[in-house]
Formats: sequence, structure tokens, C-alpha cells
Amino acid sequence: MAVSRTAIALFAVISVAIVVPAAAQDQGRAAGPGQSAGAPPGRGRAAGPGYPKFFDSSMPFQPRDLAGIWTPNGNGFGGGGRCRDCGDRGFSMEFPVFTPAGQAAFDRNVPSYGRAKDSDDAKAHPEEHIGRRRAQPPALGNDTYGSCNPMGMPRAALYPDPVELIVLPDRILQHFQWGYGLRTIWMDGRKLPAPEDIDVARWWGYAVGRWDGNTLVVESTGYDERTWIDHFGYPHSDEMVLQERYTRINYDTIELKMTLTDPKYYAKPWTSETKRMHLLPKTFVQSSGWTGLLEDLCAPANELEFNRLIRDPAGTGKPTEPGEAR
Amino acid sequence: MTRSRAAVWCVAAALGCLAMPRSLTAHHGTLVSYDRDKAWTAKAVVTEFRYVNPHAQLYFDVKDKDHSGHWSGELLANPAQLIASGWTRKRSTELLKAGTAITVTVAPARAGGMVVLVMRILNDTGEELLGAAAPPGAAPRPVP
Repeated sequence: MAVSRTAIALFAVISVAIVVPAAAQDQGRAAGPGQSAGAPPGRGRAAGPGYPKFFDSSMPFQPRDLAGIWTPNGNGFGGGGRCRDCGDRGFSMEFPVFTPAGQAAFDRNVPSYGRAKDSDDAKAHPEEHIGRRRAQPPALGNDTYGSCNPMGMPRAALYPDPVELIVLPDRILQHFQWGYGLRTIWMDGRKLPAPEDIDVARWWGYAVGRWDGNTLVVESTGYDERTWIDHFGYPHSDEMVLQERYTRINYDTIELKMTLTDPKYYAKPWTSETKRMHLLPKTFVQSSGWTGLLEDLCAPANELEFNRLIRDPAGTGKPTEPGEAR
Repeated sequence: MTRSRAAVWCVAAALGCLAMPRSLTAHHGTLVSYDRDKAWTAKAVVTEFRYVNPHAQLYFDVKDKDHSGHWSGELLANPAQLIASGWTRKRSTELLKAGTAITVTVAPARAGGMVVLVMRILNDTGEELLGAAAPPGAAPRPVP
């Protein structure tokens, strides 16, 4: 156990200083109750790395041992944003090159993340692709995730919640906290299905993995076209092949690099920045005195009620639609 | 948003408001629905507090001349985040039971109407509710 108690105690004092540059980078600002970097001291966080620092990164490790709970979150547990060195929630800052069909699909998607469409803020950042500058209220958008459909990949990997990697003899399971989503990466040597052999597209696709040295290389395809690449609404077709390369670079850090190839929608492969996630002790995520991943489920019963009471009136200005009594 | 403006906000956070980490937005993007540059503050009375997913909700009445009416408020936090900040269900619902006098700072919906983003809640003694501070005597989380 490499947690410095002194560092933990310092967290409360220094945490605000951590937030300032992060907020400036990504439109953050004081928002509201529960949205704080200033959680109780004593939870293992320390000033410095911008993520919950529980372990000494220089401790010895097995590079092919990926099992554990890993987080790209600045707070660790989910909710809140990605940590400073984890990369943002977009797939890539590189401008994608669409085919005409890809451009049309991109234009059909109406996301709610990024800079507000036509705002002064959006106009002030021409260096960003328009995909990051076209957000509309979700009541006016068409993100299927807004009604609790699975995120799919790579969007789930970009979401700032923990993921537990469960390693079995013939497969690796990615258990995403948000949505309680489960994705299987088969390590038994099978090949990806050819496009013409895919009977049913999947929200979580079909994925196989292999080791390239100490890098886990995952290739996947067969994704339902209703999932988005990221929350900015970049599309993919049924021909997308996603390659993920996971490398454990030290005791508590995994790096992820991704490339998507989708000739129907993208004129050339699109490559992500390097994303990172950090190891959490399983006792960190805790609710009701119970440790382990939260059941951070997007339940339609909750979501549809929220949409009726809050999301839709806020986005349209219209009164709340009648419904069952709260 | 400029760095200096972000710094101002975060200084406010240090003084008792709350700071939003990088990329923190409602999980389905509702933040864009609100205009935080037009935030207002008013005395209010809680009619209901809902400790629910996907976001906690505060319903309250305001009787001043500028904002009179019954309001529905969204917090960006969900129960998991509130728990992590020491705001358990029991503590939160007890301090925000119906009839509680509060002062709220909210951002109105860009589209108008009676739905707002709740940015800050103070009780009648000026204590911040659902804020960042751990409850007095909160035990540290176990670490291996």
C-alpha cells in the first residue's frame, strides 16, 4: 500500500488548485451541489496527479495483468470528468475526413455535449472541429443514449466512469460502471466475423483480443449503427473496425490508443489521442457500505421520468407533460 | 471560457461554492439547456427533494417579485456523487424535507419555463447543503 497519509490530508487544501486549470481546459465552471473535487479527505486522493492516487506507480507489476478496477475519472468513482492525463471524452482532436455518406450521418446526429451550437463560445473556437461546437439541449437532440440505450464502443471507454477488467482463461470482460455494461473480448483465437456473416449487429459489437508483446490488441466490429463514436455525435457505419491497444505502462496506469477504420463513413482511418486510466483499490468505490462498482444503471424507469419532469421542459420551455404522480 | 474566468469560479468554489472538474456535465448533456450567465438567487421553501438517478431533483416555491412560482430544479449530481461527498440519502433528505426554508442559486433554462439548474443551496443559517464538505466526523474510507 503506497498511499501517503500526509498527501491525503493535503488533498482538501490543494484540490481547488487542481481544478482551476482543468476547468479552463474544458469549459468547466462551478456548477452545483455534489459536483465537487472537494470530497472528504481520507479517501485516498492526493494532490498532484489529478486522479485518485492510491499506489506507487514504480511498484513492480506484471505487464499482461490487466485485472482490476481502472478509472479515467478525476474523482475516481464516476460522475465528474476525466482526469488530467486521461485525455478528454472526445475520440480525437484530429479532424475526421468524412465520405459523403459519413458527412450525411454526421449531420443527422444532434449531440448535447460540447460548445453550444451557434454560441459565441462555439464561434470563438474555430480550431476545434464543428463536432465539438454544435451542442443542443438533449430535448432537441437524438442521442439514443438519452433513453438508456447502451453506449457501445469506443464511447464507453471514453466515459469518465470506472471499468473493471475481469480476466478469464479465454476472454476478458470489460464491466463498465456506467450502464453496468458488459463487453466480452474473446482471447481464444477466434477471428472476427466477416461483414457478410454478421446476422445481427450488436450494441457492444464483436471483439477479439491478442497480445502484441505486452500490448493487448483488441479488434472489434459489427456495432449497431445507432451508437456514436463519442458524445459529440460522430457516427460509424456497420463496417467500422475498431482497434484498441491497451498497454500497462506502470503499476497503476494503462494507456489506450485507438484507431477506427470505416471506409463507408471515413475516407481514412481516424486515430485517437492516447487515453489513460488508473488503478483503483476495489474498496474505493463505495455506497451503502458496500464496495465494488456502483450499479450506475441507466434505468428507463428513472430516465424517462427525469426526461418528462426536467430534461424536456428545460430544453423546450414547455410545461411538464402530465404523467404519473411523482 | 477564459482561464481567468475559470479561476474566478474556482475561487468561489473554494469559498463555499463548488467546483466542477474537467468535462463535468450531466450524463446526458442537460447542462447546455441552462444559461449559467443568468443565474439568480432567491429565498425559497422546499416542496420536495428527490434523491434519485439520473440526477437529484429539488422542487421549491419562491415568492419574491422576480421569480415567484413553483420551480423544478435539476442537480447535476446523482446519488453516487452525493454519497461520495458525504451526502447520504438520510442526511440529504432530512435537511431538505418539505417546508425547509432555503436560499437557492439557480441557472434558468435557455428555453424559459419553470425548470432550472440548481447551483447552490443554503439553509436558513447559511450552511451549504449538498456541498463539498464531509459531514462532521465522517470516517475515512478504507484503503488497502
